[in-house]
Amino acid sequence: MIPSNLRVVLIVLVISYFIVILYFLKQKALNLKYTLLWLVAGFVMGILVVVPELLTMIIRIFGIQDNMNGLFIFSIGFIILILLSLTSIASRQNRKLRTLTQELAILDKRVRELERSSGKQEERAGV
Amino acid sequence: MMENNMKRILVIIPAYNEAENIVHVVNHMMEMAPQYDYLVVNDGSADNTLQLCRRENFQYLDLPINMGIGGAVQAGYIYAYKNDYDIAVQMDGDGQHDIAYLDRLLQPLFHNEADVVIGSRFLEKEGFQSSASRRMGINILSLLIRLTTGKKIMDVTSGYRAVNRMFIEIYSKDYPADYPEPEAIVEAIMHLGIVKEVPVQMRAREGGISSITFKKSVYYMIKVTLAILVCRLSYGLRRGKRTQE
Repeated sequence: MIPSNLRVVLIVLVISYFIVILYFLKQKALNLKYTLLWLVAGFVMGILVVVPELLTMIIRIFGIQDNMNGLFIFSIGFIILILLSLTSIASRQNRKLRTLTQELAILDKRVRELERSSGKQEERAGV
Repeated sequence: MMENNMKRILVIIPAYNEAENIVHVVNHMMEMAPQYDYLVVNDGSADNTLQLCRRENFQYLDLPINMGIGGAVQAGYIYAYKNDYDIAVQMDGDGQHDIAYLDRLLQPLFHNEADVVIGSRFLEKEGFQSSASRRMGINILSLLIRLTTGKKIMDVTSGYRAVNRMFIEIYSKDYPADYPEPEAIVEAIMHLGIVKEVPVQMRAREGGISSITFKKSVYYMIKVTLAILVCRLSYGLRRGKRTQE
């Protein structure tokens, strides 16, 4: 059983975790789309702090003997999941950036050509 | 059927930090093959490649950030696709590829004998043959492509290539990143394209430094091997339906 003072500390930590996320959201430093996973993580942490018996139950179902071990396994698994999704986001953005850069270069060439031809026309018109 | 001399041909010349070579390469090309269009793709060079292109009034694309040879070549393919070119040729901006062999590359496309033509150093084993260790790496990749696709290509890393309209479109939509040459061959075979090698001679680089240093070669082999396998797997069983006539 978690000692009650540790429990208070954990509750405060979870609440500050939510405050930080909300602060980032308000500052538009986080995209809501990418924050959902973190919010879900916060809710799970909150529930586990309030009802720690739930964690013990789940861990028993998985056959893990030690509560802390179980907690670590689940946390590490969750972190790996988030990292994987971040790598996938980075890769997707990389591809989009590539397309944008290429289109930009092609437009740049077109602008140069248009400028040149309009420059010639102006010359002919004596402008 | 369009007459071959009516076909619009674009030579794509990717250039990353090629200030030493690019003027000579383009001028040589305009002298030897003035009937073809060309397009230098400056891949965010840190040297004055861009300034030279501007000063010489070359046809060029300027990528504002460096994207690697794959992204640069693909920009050329997108340009070729948008401007309705029938054939696109890619030729390195470092002077390794001789414009004199351009016609050899184009002939199979003119006669509809191939969709992708690769200029190969190893068919007649003439000209610059690269170092022994490089050749070994190339042979391993060649074997890997043969095992995974059943198609024998000798010079899988050659960046001297010509493709028809069908592959201008395919490559403009999807072209491998980083070290793209061997992977692009697998992609072509998986799209049931006819890939053909023709003998060319290459020169050692005229100046500047090669993009693949010895230090990177181990990473190169691992990355390209993985890329070939992934590319082969992601296309599943769609292979070999269109055989060479």
